[in-house]
Amino acid sequence: MKVRVSDIRRCFQGVVPSMVATADGRGVPNVVYVSQVYFVDDRHVALSCQFFSKTRRNLDENPVACAEVMDPITLQAYRLKLKFLRSERSGPLFDTMSLRIDAIASHTGMAGVFKLIAADVFEVLSADLVEGYLMDAPVDAPAGASLDGLRTEVRGLQWVSDRINRATSLESLLGGVLEALEEYFTFSHTSVLLHDEANHRLTTLASRGYGRSGIGAEVGIGEGLIGTVARERRLLRLSSLDADLRYGRAIRRAAADGSRMLQEEIPLPGLPDAQSVLAIPLTVGDRLIGVIAAEDRDPMRFNEWHEAYLEVLANQIALGIDRMIERCDEPADTSPAIDAPAPLPAKPAAPRSRRRLTYYKHDDAIFVDDEYLIRNIPARILWKVLGESTRTGRTEFSNREMRIDPSLGLPPVKDNFESRLILLRHRLQEKCPDLQIVSTGRGRFALRADAVIEMSER
Amino acid sequence: MSQSRNQRCLEPGLSVLVGTADAAGMPSCCRGIAISTADDLQTITVYVPVATSHETIQNVGVTRRVAVTVTHPRDNFATQFKGSAVEARLAREDEAPFVRARLDAFADVLDRIGVPRRVTRGVAHWPAFAVTLRVDQTFEQTPGPNAGRPIA
Repeated sequence: MKVRVSDIRRCFQGVVPSMVATADGRGVPNVVYVSQVYFVDDRHVALSCQFFSKTRRNLDENPVACAEVMDPITLQAYRLKLKFLRSERSGPLFDTMSLRIDAIASHTGMAGVFKLIAADVFEVLSADLVEGYLMDAPVDAPAGASLDGLRTEVRGLQWVSDRINRATSLESLLGGVLEALEEYFTFSHTSVLLHDEANHRLTTLASRGYGRSGIGAEVGIGEGLIGTVARERRLLRLSSLDADLRYGRAIRRAAADGSRMLQEEIPLPGLPDAQSVLAIPLTVGDRLIGVIAAEDRDPMRFNEWHEAYLEVLANQIALGIDRMIERCDEPADTSPAIDAPAPLPAKPAAPRSRRRLTYYKHDDAIFVDDEYLIRNIPARILWKVLGESTRTGRTEFSNREMRIDPSLGLPPVKDNFESRLILLRHRLQEKCPDLQIVSTGRGRFALRADAVIEMSER
Repeated sequence: MSQSRNQRCLEPGLSVLVGTADAAGMPSCCRGIAISTADDLQTITVYVPVATSHETIQNVGVTRRVAVTVTHPRDNFATQFKGSAVEARLAREDEAPFVRARLDAFADVLDRIGVPRRVTRGVAHWPAFAVTLRVDQTFEQTPGPNAGRPIA
């Protein structure tokens, strides 16, 4: 039975590996797995060329192929007869296919070794359902968004816009966005990482649905899945993470005897058993603001509809974050912040605990009672306010006085000061809850210590 | 080929792919269910479901050329055999338990990496054709820079 290629698009998500047969000029067949057959349009598909393989050589001699692809939900197989047209080594198709491979390569420590050489484009001569492949007829499953889903998601977009507009702090904006993604899209494992131009890294500033918040976790631009999305400024949707990683690790093992040094594998952020990932760059113009990422244990969790929809949402989120960062540059006021936490309740007189904070100059990091707390600029901010408080008894500070202190090393523009305070606040809550940084109004914050602080430098 | 590699190529739980080409060089492929050997991989017999292998059997009848790739789904360890068919026949009833056991083992492996057993067991596997080929060449097929290299 003939089928339209666009009607079997689920087969092209890479969840189930596809097989491809070619034959050389003498008619000797060759049959291999390929990680993914890419849907181009109703008459074209593409295969990734990562190594100059026998498949590739056969196509030069005899430019036809047969691919068998499989629906990941029903396991129904479809057979495509293909005619090789051309190899693309740049352009939108190449970039899309390359992003996925680069991300997996980086994640498995294979960056630069395991890469896309070309996107091989084929004309689909015929596409047929493989009759009799399944003993029972497959039960079809919905492939796209339902009208109800559409309505829910439009409401979600309105809700996110509203939350962005009403947010009084970067923290409430990020929290509101992740809450909306769970409520309206049922994305229950999400995180937002913001770009720090000072050190070319992304830092996790908000997360939802994880046992540990992961706030403060960093990834370099170009490292792993999220770092690759940030570097390329392109959305990445992976539907079969486990299979892709197995494939990447197989190549890593095969390449391990080579002379190149391979990097250590970067642990997945969040779910250790994630099967699908959607990572979206947050950009304003060409400027990278950060990355928003969602994960799920269901390999088919994210589809093209989510991709298109969340790109729109990401633009709004990026603008909202950027505006919030701009607003933090405005002069401090003296009115209490709307979302400032309530003052700490007075505690009954009791022996105060002691906390030993050590600043390691060489590592630019602070440890609390020998446990890592924070490093870089947030560490310097904390050390400055602690020192000032110890010397003068001051507990109230303004963002502005921090900004003009060259010893903190803040960038002259777009310094992300508020995001650094959020990071500091969360790390203190997790590792040293009796020392707090609280917002006391726009552009102002206070140090609250409920312990005797001992400071030392090494 | 080393003894350990031979063993891995014959273990239960393998994925089996079969490639052929017609007289004009147009390739075709289908999934196999099992492979076996009686002479240490000098010849192999690959079992393909009758329901899905019409074109494969037709091509074997015309050109006799067959490629068979076996892969361990968990680590992608893969080997490709190429050779000429010496026999293509309907599998005997006494071979059915072996074919069924191999499908079950494959379902168990896929289940461990997220594909439910019931789905894999729903794939047609019997009646089957048994295609025996004389192995002329063996190739490394594990993904990576060595994929496609002949194995001595």
